[in-house]
Amino acid sequence: MACRPSIISRGSDVGQSTFNMPPAQTESALPMVQPLLKEFQLLFYISKIAGILPQDLEKFRTKNVLEKSRNGMVYMLAMLIVYVLLYNILIYSFGEEDRTLKASQSTLTFVIGLFLTYIGLIMMGTDQLTALRNQGRIGELYERIRQVDERLYKEKCVVDNSHIGGRIRFMLIMTFLFELSILLATYIKLVDYTQWMSVLWIVSAIPTFINTLDKIWFAVSLYALKERFEAINQTLEELVATHEKFKLWLRGDHDTSSRTLDSSQPPEYDSNLEYLYRELGGLDMGSLKGSGKNKVAPVSHSMNSFGESIEASDKATHHPISVNMAHESELSNASKVEEKLNNLCQVHDEICEIGKAMNELWSYPILSLMAYGFLIFTAQLYFLYCATQFQSIPSLFRSAKNPFITVIALSYTSGKCVYLIYLSWKTSLASKRTGISLHKCGVVADDNLLFEIVNHLSLKLLNHSVDFSACGFFTLDMETLYGVSGGITSYLIILIQFNLAAQQAKEAIQTFNSLNDTASLVGAATEMDNGSSTLYDLVTTTMLTPTV
Amino acid sequence: MNPFGGHQRQPDKFSTNSELKGKRWSTESREYPRNNTKMIQIMNWFSMAIGLIPLNRQQSESNVILDYAMMLLVPVFYLGCYFLINLTHAFGLCFLDACNSVCRLSNNLFMHLGAFLYLTVTLMSLYRRKDFFLQFDERLNAIDAVIQRCRHVAEMDRVKVTAVKHSVAYHFTWLFLFCVFAFALYYDIRALYLTFGNYAFIPFMVSSFPYLAGSIIQGEFIYHVSVISQRFEQINTLFEKINQEARHRHAPLTVFDIESEGKKQERKNLTPATAMDSRGPSFGNEQKLSGEMKRQMAAPPPPPPQGQQKNEEDEMDSSYDEDEDDFDYDNATIAENTGNTSEANLPDLFKLHDKILSLSVITNGEFGPQCVPYMAACFVVSIFGIFLETKVNFIVSGKSRLLDYVTYLYVIWSFTTMVVAYIVLRLCCNANNHSKQSAMIVHEIMQKKPAFMLSNDLFYNKMKSFTLQFLHWEGYFQFNGIGLFALDYTFIFSTVSAATSYLIVLLQFDMTAILRNEGLMS
Repeated sequence: MACRPSIISRGSDVGQSTFNMPPAQTESALPMVQPLLKEFQLLFYISKIAGILPQDLEKFRTKNVLEKSRNGMVYMLAMLIVYVLLYNILIYSFGEEDRTLKASQSTLTFVIGLFLTYIGLIMMGTDQLTALRNQGRIGELYERIRQVDERLYKEKCVVDNSHIGGRIRFMLIMTFLFELSILLATYIKLVDYTQWMSVLWIVSAIPTFINTLDKIWFAVSLYALKERFEAINQTLEELVATHEKFKLWLRGDHDTSSRTLDSSQPPEYDSNLEYLYRELGGLDMGSLKGSGKNKVAPVSHSMNSFGESIEASDKATHHPISVNMAHESELSNASKVEEKLNNLCQVHDEICEIGKAMNELWSYPILSLMAYGFLIFTAQLYFLYCATQFQSIPSLFRSAKNPFITVIALSYTSGKCVYLIYLSWKTSLASKRTGISLHKCGVVADDNLLFEIVNHLSLKLLNHSVDFSACGFFTLDMETLYGVSGGITSYLIILIQFNLAAQQAKEAIQTFNSLNDTASLVGAATEMDNGSSTLYDLVTTTMLTPTV
Repeated sequence: MNPFGGHQRQPDKFSTNSELKGKRWSTESREYPRNNTKMIQIMNWFSMAIGLIPLNRQQSESNVILDYAMMLLVPVFYLGCYFLINLTHAFGLCFLDACNSVCRLSNNLFMHLGAFLYLTVTLMSLYRRKDFFLQFDERLNAIDAVIQRCRHVAEMDRVKVTAVKHSVAYHFTWLFLFCVFAFALYYDIRALYLTFGNYAFIPFMVSSFPYLAGSIIQGEFIYHVSVISQRFEQINTLFEKINQEARHRHAPLTVFDIESEGKKQERKNLTPATAMDSRGPSFGNEQKLSGEMKRQMAAPPPPPPQGQQKNEEDEMDSSYDEDEDDFDYDNATIAENTGNTSEANLPDLFKLHDKILSLSVITNGEFGPQCVPYMAACFVVSIFGIFLETKVNFIVSGKSRLLDYVTYLYVIWSFTTMVVAYIVLRLCCNANNHSKQSAMIVHEIMQKKPAFMLSNDLFYNKMKSFTLQFLHWEGYFQFNGIGLFALDYTFIFSTVSAATSYLIVLLQFDMTAILRNEGLMS
């Protein structure tokens, strides 16, 4: 924790010094890149009120930054304690019903209910405590994303943040809809609302609601990262497309230069090799620096050989013109495009690092969410089965009594888990696609120097992929989902089997008892008739055989 | 929608592209044999008839209503039948008096599973519309044009592609599939006709039809994947050609003989094995080259007069060595002149490989999601088929006609769907392997250090770039069902292991009480 601020300052220092830009220019570049957090305003206010985030409200409102705040921390802890107290009261007051039912319900159902009583609370506690732990680092994360945006903007690759706000709003509306429909439907249909204690049932929605809000933060940030990756890919593909147009145009003018001739032409060794050595020397230093800090230096290494400041300003002025000119391809100028590719790759690395950092920040909440999703999904289905068999179920899971409410609750829970998994998978895929797009640049330019660059960067990208995992226990991709769905099914079948067996045993005992009664009656009758014991045996056997 | 849409659509250098666009590719005169077209066309007509793919799917401008009429009518008809049975309780097998509880349960499961399968598959087909087919054809034409040109360059026009060899197995597979489906349909229709008379088509729509439709969509997938796989194979033959030429060609590059003339002299006198032994490991490269040369000499095809000549000249005194080297050099240039054409294909082939992979990504994006419900339905039907067969049919077969019909229906459709699923997995696996093969061949070419690579840095970098790109592709793409499972043989393993554990659990259900209650067992 202590070293964090220093890293930020160093990072920004490096950024300042290596871009060789006067401060005026960085400031002028700033308004171009909207900070991502600007779109998070609504979400921030709601989560601030609900007590999910401890960060300072005033700083966020004025400067759009997340900063530590002691008051927020106190408020959040107070909220957490209040929630825990309320939830315990809820469990206690609704546990009354359970105690009367305990004798009748099977031990399996009872034990499962007992286990899952506190899982929602555990999940909520994990979310809030992790948010407390991370309160300094989340702001840093968004600051890094903003820096990435700036760097992307310099590469003429603009990331549009505007629809993220709409996405957040949609998610919030969905959350409210689901929570309210589950709560109201359960309250109206399944809770005895004549008693004033039944109002406490509202508390049962708090853990899932808070958890969802926290996950919206993660999901939207992840989505933003995915968009960054896609923007890089898009830029590379556009490079390829413009170069193809350029080549087509060239061919239209000079038919003489055919592809096959080009490739068989001897390349100029000297310039290439010399360039390559210079290139590799610079790169090695750059990569070493990066690995030492475990953070890619936001600096183009080729800046040493090319005047970076001149390049940047040159590019900035060139930008509007080159867009208008149809027949100009950046890929034809290897040294120029090399810098661009290098920068893009470094941004890619940085986004991967951000992804890893983000995954680390949310690793415990995600693990608890996945555990919660798995257990609740299985339990809800099992209790639904129990309810259809007219068995009693724990009172906290009364929503399982109604199939319709169960479907809503299940789609809510599974939607949360599946969306996170799907998004992680898609982000990972988008990061992997950059390598392919990069190679396309090399192939379409068909230039020896460019091939060298592309091969080098490609190896770098190959080693630098982002995979999201829950605490390292399992990766968040669709294959995990496949495995989990298989697990849920098999557990469900086993649970139903046990339940059936228990029911059969119970029935057998009951019938046996009743048979014993009748048999003793019959026996008494036969004894009264002074009949032999064989008749008694006959009766018991004939009556017992069909049921066993 | 698809990420690779951008730049490849351009006509580029393929001027033929626009001409080919509107026509059906199968009717074009291609040099490689296409004896599969007839079967595929039957399948396409059939799937058009039952509204799974749009009519005129290869024409960009046609009547929209006509194209999608069947695709809307058939699902509506299906839904009508489904609701007729479930709401009015008429025409349903499960609502007959003769249907006992086991029969009812299994029939309901079959019907609802089929509804799930058919509705998901149809919705995805409707969502796909014909953009995919147009795009696929367009890209395929572009790829074919380049392949054709490459084959021309590589002088492989005259060589017949080996597709003819596969045709027996291919036809057998088709015939087998046809028989299996015909039998399944015949069985179902006959049993339903006996029960319902002329109204048999209504229960048929909810019993067998969804599985048939799902299988046909998988058939479309199979066809598209097989086309892709075929292109990979063709590329691989072209790569292989270059590879072989590289082997033939670098022997003349024994320019190292200039350095080690004396050694060469004595080596020639030794037996090959001892020659290898006598040379130190420091000459690793030379050793390999000499080994290569020996192999070339041992092989029957290499030009015999030159080889003999070389031997003879070797046996002469060393003053002729100069001449021999000259001669070798000449030989090399000759070889290069003849083979130069083939390696000029390399850039095009790399691009082709990339394009075919993008085509696979699109195809998988379209058909992969449809695989998921199909595989799920196949799994459930198979498990319940085994369960019903062992727990019900073995014990009480012949007691109730409807029960027998339902259990056999399960078994038949589990077999049919399994066959289709296996073919899908097999073809996807094949296509994956073929694409992997290309990278391996390129590595082989690089290892042989052919003349064109040593003389030109560009080629080396290009090949390296290709293999690296393939590594990226491998991480990025594999035929899969929306990422849930990879469509290869590992899926079979995971399914079988899952099925086993489910079966162990399921087979513990005690059915005797139920069967006794239904009066099927005494």
